[in-house]
Amino acid sequence: MSWAKIFAVIRREYIERVRTKAFWFGTALIPIFFFAYIGIQIATSKSAGGQRRVAVVDAAGGLYEPLVKELADRENKARQDPEHHQNVHWILEKAPAGADLAKTKEALRHDVLEKRIDAYLVLDPKLIEKDRIEYYSTSVSEFVALTQLEQAVNHVLLRSRIGSRGLPSDVESDLERRADLKPFKVTKSGATEEKGAAFVTVLIFMVILYTTFLMYGMQNLKGVIDEKTNRIVEVVIASVRPTELMLGKIIGIGLVGLTQYLIWSLVAMNLSLPAIAGMLSTGDLGVPKIPISMVLYFVLFFVCGYFLYASVYTAIGAPFNTDQEAQQLAMIPMMFIVSVWAFFPVLMNNPNGGVAIFASLFPFTAPLAMFLRTSMGQPPGWQVALSIAILIASTIGIAWLAGRIYRVGILMYGKKPTIPEIVRWIRYRPGQVPQPAAREAS
Amino acid sequence: MEFPIELRNVSKAFGKFRAVDNLSFRVPRGVVFGLLGPNGAGKTTTIRMIMDITAPDSGEIHVLGQPMTRQTQNRIGYLPEERGLYRKMKVIDHLFFLAAIKSVDRESARKRIAEWADKMELRPWLNKKVDELSKGMQQKVQFIATIIHDPEVLILDEVFSGLDPINTALVKEYLADFRGRGKTIVFSTHVLEQADKLCDEICLLAKSRKILEGGLKDLKRRHAGDQLRLAIAATPAQVADLPGVRSSAALNGEFVVSLAPGTDRREFLRRALERHDVQAFSQREPELEEIYLAAVRDAGMEETRPIE
Repeated sequence: MSWAKIFAVIRREYIERVRTKAFWFGTALIPIFFFAYIGIQIATSKSAGGQRRVAVVDAAGGLYEPLVKELADRENKARQDPEHHQNVHWILEKAPAGADLAKTKEALRHDVLEKRIDAYLVLDPKLIEKDRIEYYSTSVSEFVALTQLEQAVNHVLLRSRIGSRGLPSDVESDLERRADLKPFKVTKSGATEEKGAAFVTVLIFMVILYTTFLMYGMQNLKGVIDEKTNRIVEVVIASVRPTELMLGKIIGIGLVGLTQYLIWSLVAMNLSLPAIAGMLSTGDLGVPKIPISMVLYFVLFFVCGYFLYASVYTAIGAPFNTDQEAQQLAMIPMMFIVSVWAFFPVLMNNPNGGVAIFASLFPFTAPLAMFLRTSMGQPPGWQVALSIAILIASTIGIAWLAGRIYRVGILMYGKKPTIPEIVRWIRYRPGQVPQPAAREAS
Repeated sequence: MEFPIELRNVSKAFGKFRAVDNLSFRVPRGVVFGLLGPNGAGKTTTIRMIMDITAPDSGEIHVLGQPMTRQTQNRIGYLPEERGLYRKMKVIDHLFFLAAIKSVDRESARKRIAEWADKMELRPWLNKKVDELSKGMQQKVQFIATIIHDPEVLILDEVFSGLDPINTALVKEYLADFRGRGKTIVFSTHVLEQADKLCDEICLLAKSRKILEGGLKDLKRRHAGDQLRLAIAATPAQVADLPGVRSSAALNGEFVVSLAPGTDRREFLRRALERHDVQAFSQREPELEEIYLAAVRDAGMEETRPIE
C-alpha cells in the first residue's frame, strides 16, 4: 500500500467531483426539495387560514351569541400566542331557525352553492343530544379548520351544560384541564425524559445514513464504469495497484458526501442562529440534546456501512461496461437498504423483537437497524457487539472480494460476463507464480 | 543491469485459450525492441504481464533485474493499447495526476509538463478540458503522460495506432531521442513496416508462440539470400539476358535480381559492367515482412497472415 498514491487518487476523485456543476446543483436543490416537501406537509396539515362565512342555524337557541364570542376570543388569543392554533377568521351570521328546519336548510343549501356563504352549521338540539353537530359545505375536508370550529362549539356547549346544571362557572376551567402522557426512557444512567425532538434527530441521522449508502454507493458503481468506458483504467493501473485505486475512489467519493453534509450543516447553523440566540435569551434550550453515544454509533455505522456498500457497488460495477448492464445487480443492495424503511414501524414498535434482532445482525441492514435500536432503546450489549463485529468482518470480506472482482473486471471489455466467470475471477490467484518477498516491499 | 526486461518460459491461458505459450526473451539496455506479430498473437497479454497487470500462469518475468515492484513500476513508462483519459478533467490537472501516481513531486511535474507542452505544442490546450481536444491532441497528452516521470524503460503497445502521419513522425523522433539517451524501448505493433526502420531487436510472435528473435540487422543479413539490387542503364530484357540471372524485376528504377544457384557474384558484376553502365550494386536487404513470412513458413504456421 502506498498512501501517497492512494492520496493522489483520493485528491483527484474529490476535486473533480466537487468541481462539477452536478455537485453544487445537488447540494442546493436537495434541501430545497426537502424543505418544499416538509412545507407542503405542514401546509396541508395546518393550512387553514383565510376566512369562512358560516350561517348558523341555532335551533337549540342561545348558542349563536356565545359561539361568536368564543371564536373571537380564540382568534385574539392566537394573535398574542401562536401556541393557540386558531388561524381561521370565522364570520358567522344567524340564519332564521324557522319552524320548518328542512326548508331553512334547503334555502341555505342554495346560498352555499351560489357562494353567498361558505357553509352552514346546524345546531339541532335533537342531534346535540346524540353528540352531533352538522356542518354543510362544498369543501368538507378542511380538517384543521373544522377542528378549530368543533373545539369552539364544544366549548360553548360545555359552558351551556355547566350553566344548565347550576354549577359555578369557574368549574369550567377545571373540567377543561388535560394531562399529557410524558414518555421516559429507562437507561442504565437513570431515567431521562424522552423529548419529541430526539426522535427527529434519530430520523435525520437515519436519512443521512440511508441516502449516503444509496447515493454515494451508487456513485462508486458509476465511477468504476466511467473509468472503464473512458479506457483510462489501464493507464492508472500501471502506476497504482487495483486495491489502491479502489480504496482511493471509495474514500474520495465518501469525502464528497461528507463535504455536502458539512455545507448543509453550516448553512443550517447559520439559518438557525437567530432561533438559537432567541432560545438562549429566553433560557429555553429547545435544541435536542444529542447523546455522545449516539454520535459515536452514528460515526461507526456511517463509516462501516458506507465502506460495505461502496465495496458492493464497486464489485457490481467492475465487470460491466454500461450502467444499464449493472442496473439489475445494483437492485440487490438497494433492496436491502430500502427494506429497513419497510420494516421501520416493526423496528419502532418492537425494537427488541425477532425482526429487529435479525435486521441488526444481518450486515446489509445492520448499519441502519442497529443504529435505530441503539438510539431508541437499550439493545442487549452482546447484540450490539455482535452486530458491529459481523459488520466489520463483512466490510473487510466484501472489500476483499470487491478488490478481486475489480482487479480482473476493470480490464474486461466486450461482452457481459456471466456469474460463473465472475466467480472464477474471485478464485483467480495472482500468487500462482512464486514471487520473492521483495514483491510487496515498498 | 544489462537486460532491463527478461522473460523466462512465460505462459498464460485464458480458460482453454493459450494466449502466451512458453515465451522467453531478453531486452538489452539502450535498444528499441519490437514485439511483433499479427493481432491475437499474444503481444498485449505479454506486455500486460510485464507490467504486472496480468499475472502469468507459469514462468518468470524480471523487470530492471527483479520481479516488478513499486519502485520499478515508477521507473517504467507504459502506454497501453486501450488508452484513454478522464474526459472532464483539465489537461494540466490530468498530467499532474498521472505524474503523482508515478511518485513525481509536484515541482518536477510542473517543470516537465511545461517542457513537454512546449515541445509538443500543447501549451494553449493545458487549461482546456480533455473532451475539448481533438483525438490527435489527446494522443499527445497520453504520450506526455507516459514519459512524465522520465522513465528508464518505455513500454508502448501499438503506439502508432490512430496517429496521423505528422504525429507518427514526431513520436518516432522522440523514440530515437530516448534511445540516444540510453533508454530502453519496447514497443509492439502488427504493422511490420513501422517496425522495420525503428527496431534494433525484434521478437516475432505468431499464435501465442515466439517464432523468431534477434538483432534486426543480423536477421536481415541471414535472410538476405541471393537477391541483389542493381542500378543499371539497361532495359529489363537486357538485364534478364545477363549471364547467371535466374529472374529479375524492375523496382523503383532499379532491378532486383536473383542469381542462378552457383553463380559467382563477382563474375556476374564483371559481365554486367562489360555490357552496361552499372551505377549501384548491392545485396538487397529483405523486408521485415519477408523475414516474417519465411519464419512462419519454417514454423509450419503458413495460414497466419502478418497484416490483418
